[in-house]
Amino acid sequence: MIRARTRRHAAAVAVAAAVPLLGGCGIRGTDVIEAGGPASIQAFVNPDYDMLLFFRSPDGGLNPVVRTTVPSDAVFGTEYLVSGEVEDSGVTEGPVPTEKVVRSLLAGPREKDRAAGLSTSLPAVRAGGTVAVERSSGGRVTARLPLALKGLDSTALRQLTCTIAYSQGGDGKAVVELTGQDGATRSDTCGLDLGNTGNVPTETEPRARPTPSGTTG
Amino acid sequence: MTSGEQRSRVRVFGLRARLLLAFLVVAAISAGTTAALTYREARSALLQTAQDTAVTSFRDRVQQTGFSLPLPREDLEGVLRDIARMGKPHPWVVFAEYGSIRASSGENPVSTVITPELRRAARANPHGSFERVVKDGVPYLTIAMPTVFKAGPDSVLPSGIVLYAVMRMTDEQLNVDALLMAGRDGALPGLAVALIPGLIAARSVLRPVRKLRQAALSMGSGRLDTRIPVRGSDELADLARTFNESTGQLERSVRELREAEERARRFASDVSHELRTPLAGMLAVTEVLDEDADGLDADTARAVRLISAETGKLAVLVEDLMEISRFDARAAELNADEVDVAEAIRKTLQNRHWTDDRVRVELPDGIRARLDPRRFDVVIANLVGNALRHGGAPVTVSLHTEHLGAEAHSPGTAVLITEVADSGPGIQPAVLPHIFDRFYKADAARTRSAGSGLGLAITLENVKLHGGTIRAGNLPGGGAVFTVEIPLHTEEADG
Repeated sequence: MIRARTRRHAAAVAVAAAVPLLGGCGIRGTDVIEAGGPASIQAFVNPDYDMLLFFRSPDGGLNPVVRTTVPSDAVFGTEYLVSGEVEDSGVTEGPVPTEKVVRSLLAGPREKDRAAGLSTSLPAVRAGGTVAVERSSGGRVTARLPLALKGLDSTALRQLTCTIAYSQGGDGKAVVELTGQDGATRSDTCGLDLGNTGNVPTETEPRARPTPSGTTG
Repeated sequence: MTSGEQRSRVRVFGLRARLLLAFLVVAAISAGTTAALTYREARSALLQTAQDTAVTSFRDRVQQTGFSLPLPREDLEGVLRDIARMGKPHPWVVFAEYGSIRASSGENPVSTVITPELRRAARANPHGSFERVVKDGVPYLTIAMPTVFKAGPDSVLPSGIVLYAVMRMTDEQLNVDALLMAGRDGALPGLAVALIPGLIAARSVLRPVRKLRQAALSMGSGRLDTRIPVRGSDELADLARTFNESTGQLERSVRELREAEERARRFASDVSHELRTPLAGMLAVTEVLDEDADGLDADTARAVRLISAETGKLAVLVEDLMEISRFDARAAELNADEVDVAEAIRKTLQNRHWTDDRVRVELPDGIRARLDPRRFDVVIANLVGNALRHGGAPVTVSLHTEHLGAEAHSPGTAVLITEVADSGPGIQPAVLPHIFDRFYKADAARTRSAGSGLGLAITLENVKLHGGTIRAGNLPGGGAVFTVEIPLHTEEADG
């Protein structure tokens, strides 16, 4: 009886040892495994005449959209533009003014943006509202907006913050202070940028770009 | 010995089988473990390489592709097909997600293989990631690649475009299967090879054991000079050495015992011989004294007659001692002759003057047997004399033949049965086993008996010499009975 028990024990031990060894012949599925950084694509952003607008994607996040201000007779970019898309601005040199960028954002997504499912959380604003932008020391930007800040959701505020921040400088890390018509103020940074996280593969520049224009107003 | 060998060959869980089994188990465990571990490592290395190649090349392809933001739906599928065409190490299907746009290089814009977990991971953090999925028995590698773009010199922004690649791992499956086959094909011949050392080890253990067994058997059959050749210095050699030493000691002890016994026998024989000559002289003197006793006064006459009687007894004792010494020295010979048994018995009784009604006979005529007449005479005389002395008259001597173990087709062994029964009180059951011992006194109080104390022992030896048996017992109605069975060799020879 004792013998039979020891024999059974030995068999159990053998099976327990064999199962992890023999377990899983062939290819088995895995969990999600992280493998390196994201892919860095070429989006052809030229800070001299392109502006970045942030709209709301269907999953609730913010998607950047590149909108160019080049006139329709410009050689570069005509094939991308439909007539009427170009902002009616006389500025042809230097970065696009922030006031203009904010007005474009408030005007909402265009047909092309909507086709990709993008929308805005900002309310429709009457044309002609004034946008005043001031840059103070320490990378701080103050913007006066022609709409009430109260009642805006967080996505709307982030749309404004990110759009203003990226219109100001290359890295979009400026602290943005928003002041609404109702006098309410909100202060925030965009926080979407991955530039300093370190795990993004640094790519060689695919094309020559102008030097950063951090000091220009 | 032959039956023993057959038994050991039939034995299923003998030493050989156990040794072979142990070798096989050890070989199987080591081969299996090695194969399994090697297989696992090789498999993960194989898959690792394939996955890393796929992820890296997918990222490279995506990075070489230009996208405009927002992503136009129109020519997206063409771009995806371009990426898919350059898939490494195998062609893959590329899926893209941007806003509400879903597109792919294949037929369906949305993959059924990509899991929600992978999608969630790609949306949650900007890292490339992959997941191996087995769907319907086919392994797939699914890669998720979120994309970023440079918004400025120090600025990298997530673009919102997530690209997925789905690749069948058919070749990897084949390679992994080949690995498994190789492991199996390597392990099985390994097991077969492991049998050879197992057999050699079993042989090296079993051969000394077999020799030991043969030696023990040979010793049991009386050959005490059996020795085993000692080879090597292992435990089995120690065992063989110990066996040889023990055998040597045993042989020495037995030889000493035999020599002592021999000396004792020769001594008894010598003593009897030395006593016979003076006794012969004494007997002659006592006969003369007996004749003259009547002329002596009463006391002297009684003394003279006592001396004469005791001298006669001493002479009988010496004769019996010499007889039994001859048996012990195996010097007794059987001078067999074909005789009429009934006639021989009658002659014996006549010679002893037992012809009155104290002895009754039941002797059928015509029974002939090969007997030594003198020894048979001693047997009958001793038994009848014993019965008359210790039992009681009348004594019955009967004779018949029997076929022992007789069956319809075989006659069995024919035996001559002679029975001597008396009418006395019988033999006590405690005495029966010792009745044929030398100098055994049935009645402890009666220390002086008329016989020498060797009569039944001599009878037993004589019957044995004839190849027969003798046994003592009691009749149901009282009285002892001695039964002598002697094989009838004549009938066997005739028949």
